[in-house]
Amino acid sequence: MTKRIVLILLAAAMMAPALFAGGRQESDQIRIGANIYSFADNFMNGVMKPELERYAQVRGVRIDIVDSEGQQARLNDQIDVFITRGVDVLVINLVDPAAARNVIEKAKQANIPLILFNKEATEAGVMDLYDKVWYVGTDSAESGIIQGQMMVEDWLANPEWDKNGDGILQYVMLKGEPGHPDAEARTLHSVKAFTDRGIQVQQLALEADPFWSTQHGADSMAAWLTSQFGDQIEMVIANNDGMAFGAITAMKAAGVSIPIYGVDALDQALTHIADGEMNGTVLNDGVNQARASLDLAINAARGNPVTQGTDWVLEQDGSKAVRVPYVPVTIDNYQSFR
Amino acid sequence: MKTPVLSKLLTVRSQNWKDFLINNGIYIVIALIIGIIVIHEPRFISIPVFRNILTQSSVRLILAFGVAGIIILQGTDLSLGRLVGFAAVISGSMLQRADYASRFYPDLPALPLIVPLIIACIVIGFLSGINGWVVAKFKIHPFLATLGMMITAYGILSIYFASGAPGPQPIGGFDTRYTQAVVGTFLGIPKLVIYAAMTSVVVWILWNKTTFGKNLFAVGGNPEAAEVSGVNVTRTVIMVYVFAGILYGIGGFLEAARIGSANNGTGFGYELDAIAACVVGGISFSGGIGKVSGAIAGVFMFTIISYGMTFMGLDQYYQYIIKGVIIVVAVALDNKKYLKKT
Repeated sequence: MTKRIVLILLAAAMMAPALFAGGRQESDQIRIGANIYSFADNFMNGVMKPELERYAQVRGVRIDIVDSEGQQARLNDQIDVFITRGVDVLVINLVDPAAARNVIEKAKQANIPLILFNKEATEAGVMDLYDKVWYVGTDSAESGIIQGQMMVEDWLANPEWDKNGDGILQYVMLKGEPGHPDAEARTLHSVKAFTDRGIQVQQLALEADPFWSTQHGADSMAAWLTSQFGDQIEMVIANNDGMAFGAITAMKAAGVSIPIYGVDALDQALTHIADGEMNGTVLNDGVNQARASLDLAINAARGNPVTQGTDWVLEQDGSKAVRVPYVPVTIDNYQSFR
Repeated sequence: MKTPVLSKLLTVRSQNWKDFLINNGIYIVIALIIGIIVIHEPRFISIPVFRNILTQSSVRLILAFGVAGIIILQGTDLSLGRLVGFAAVISGSMLQRADYASRFYPDLPALPLIVPLIIACIVIGFLSGINGWVVAKFKIHPFLATLGMMITAYGILSIYFASGAPGPQPIGGFDTRYTQAVVGTFLGIPKLVIYAAMTSVVVWILWNKTTFGKNLFAVGGNPEAAEVSGVNVTRTVIMVYVFAGILYGIGGFLEAARIGSANNGTGFGYELDAIAACVVGGISFSGGIGKVSGAIAGVFMFTIISYGMTFMGLDQYYQYIIKGVIIVVAVALDNKKYLKKT
């Protein structure tokens, strides 16, 4: 029994610093309750979270960022905690874009302003449920469109890429998570860029991976390269950089080099571009999404118009959204993103 | 004891093929799967495919050997994936190219490859050893002990991952010495395959020719009996977990270079693949039973399925169904096999 008490005390002692850190707060400082849908996501955890933390410090506000572990249920619980703790504004990265209604209603009931970021509500009309909810993100389709435009330009500029000379692009696609708005939009629009320009395409294979993982990219590419269409692949389209890294490793191991494009513009992608192993990626401008989210959140917490004193512009289409543009990254401009 | 012998003799014919099926179920299934794939895609029988399947199986096999020892102890290891991820991040963080733009340790000189490998093995061996200690000392079910470690290790791993100079960025841009040592070939054979083969030999010797192996199977089969006959059960259990941790360390070291990047999500879910491969390969959850060849067959089978399906361009949702069914069928067959013997 004593042993158990000692153990419990020990555990409590280990948690004490966290508790005290929580207790130290200035009364007039704005407190933001935020989440990342999953800390396992390279982009969200590696780009957006650090910038949210850094920029919060710059703006002199306090932000708590929790990991929703890829579960909408967890996020709902976390929002309850934030509300009971009395945060001034919620900055929420939905796990399931279709679950926005619950989140918005929770915020509305507590009368706390809500900024949704990076994953946009899919249900039509939910943004009208509450006057103090806004969205900061991108236009999912745009990343695919920009990736597609890059690929079309390069394809037209390099006739030798059409290995079999049939005028048709034979490609393989690393899709990412089925049902994820970005995965779906990119899969559709990157290829549409070709067909819009009158270039025929043929999809040799498509692999979906709920975790967008490097390992899956590597294993799929290795298998494709040995398959019956292995020597016909003229382009690899990856809906994120992580999967592209794996495919690049597989190509290197097999001693081939096929044009490959990703999305996210992670540091490692820039290096692959510099080394000539990757042809392009699209910057999902996480830094500016993070800043816009906080700028809006702080204005909302103070009761100001959300874009007051900022350069952000609200869309006029009723989506209550600030959309941060994507940027194409190629060998010509990669250095400016380091 | 005359009647059983007699009845055995009488039923020997019908028993024969049944036994054959039951005892060699996994090999028959592998042959069937390959057969189906080859009918659709004759190109499947080719040297590059064969090489790739061996290569993709290599790391998985090393990991499967680690958890196999724990399963033989009637245990399981949920922390495998996170520990492998941790090893991958440790190894990758210390072996980046000098000219890579966002290095984890900006000023770290080029280390001999063995240094990060040893560090990874020590750290992961230690963490896995804690699992063993908790299991042996506090009699906590391995499912729970390793569940705790799975979560804890993810926390530690993520803190380490985020502590690098560029922040929590995927760790890539590996030193070519490192990638060459892993994905290169030796006399035309992928080095990964050589490492996996070497590990197989070491594990085979450990399991079959050493006191450690004898104790492992004794404790796994019947811990009380082993204790009574003078085996130090606690020490054996801890050693098995430490050994598993060392294999995870090696596996993580290889995996980072194999896939070309590492982050705190690396390794996620690997434990289930490894455990599934073991049970399909006849390493029984009831403990004390398992063969090196079984683990090898189990790992190959799963690689062949996922490779074959991708190769054929089939919808991967079917893979999940096939894999799931195979796991249950294999374990059912296995139970039948051992129920008979006892």
